[in-house]
Amino acid sequence: MTEHDHNHDHNHNHDHDHDRTIKPMVDEITDFEVLEIALRELCIEKGLFTAAEHRLFTEFAEQIGPTPAARLVARAWLDPDFKRLALTDALAASKQVGVDWLEPTGFGTPSDFVAFKILENTPAVHNVIVCALCSCYPRPILGNSPEWYRTPNYRRRIVRWPRQVLSEFGLVLPDDVEVRVEDSNQKHRFMVMPLRPEGTDGWTEDQLAEIITRDCLIGVALPTPGVTTNIITKTRPAIRPIAN
Amino acid sequence: MSTAGVPPESVTVDTLEQIARRNQTWSVMADKYGVENPVPPWKTSLDGMCDAIDRSCAGDDMGFTFKDRRDEEDALSVTRYADLPYPENQLVALAHSLVTRGVIDEAELRRRLDAVRARLEA
Repeated sequence: MTEHDHNHDHNHNHDHDHDRTIKPMVDEITDFEVLEIALRELCIEKGLFTAAEHRLFTEFAEQIGPTPAARLVARAWLDPDFKRLALTDALAASKQVGVDWLEPTGFGTPSDFVAFKILENTPAVHNVIVCALCSCYPRPILGNSPEWYRTPNYRRRIVRWPRQVLSEFGLVLPDDVEVRVEDSNQKHRFMVMPLRPEGTDGWTEDQLAEIITRDCLIGVALPTPGVTTNIITKTRPAIRPIAN
Repeated sequence: MSTAGVPPESVTVDTLEQIARRNQTWSVMADKYGVENPVPPWKTSLDGMCDAIDRSCAGDDMGFTFKDRRDEEDALSVTRYADLPYPENQLVALAHSLVTRGVIDEAELRRRLDAVRARLEA
């Protein structure tokens, strides 16, 4: 604590220009918080995993996100050599944006087998990824999948009616653009390299990376100047649940 | 409780049903306290737990694979815990799978829930 902070702590009633705002917190212990701890403790006691293993995977989960994937595509748009590398050796290209797919165990995560391919969109072909079986996703480079990606509704429908599902995300593709749905699995992960949009001439890597959102890398959106956020979709229950 | 061969959603786990009914979900809590984080603070720990289980439980006697875990989560999320949002449904489904497989006894889970809550409220 600095001298300044120390004094501040003892002078709560004066006006000053260095407001310290404390973000609000949930000041209540919830059943779910308690359940997560209880479950974890029991798993460790029963030897399902160790506390060290849990910490390793939790740290991994805390540091992953879509930033390296956006950076990879932005760099590929600017550098033809890097683009070639990304499309021929996606693991090597990942390393150049700080992602080692062997982390955190030396063999990748349990559900992220070390086989990764980047799918290039062209004016004639649009790619979109799914995991029809469960929710396989290129987590090391793209972070955790969004909730809708995990739902049976998306998984089942995107492979059957891709154009209809894409239109629900606001992406309507011309009929002469072929849509390819790539099904991820435990042995292979994919990510989309979208086309660089018009209106981005002269942009830096940082500027380009900002518009390459997670949704663009899944293939349910196209990079658009001025758009830096993902689409928010309401997760709807399946009309015909799997029980039927 | 070991219910091998029985669809997990056909089994009632009272302790978890009560938690689901009480509905202290993150969206409700975040609204109540004006918190902006989109996911609860325990989410990454849950992710760590799922990864650790996927790594260690698929090949042993338990035979609880990544696909089993996700299939059961999907089934439970549209049946028993249909009113819970994500990721609360993911957490409760994992607990449900472990109880119905006999890995964790429900009475033991209830005792531990009480003990953890007492500790956090101390």
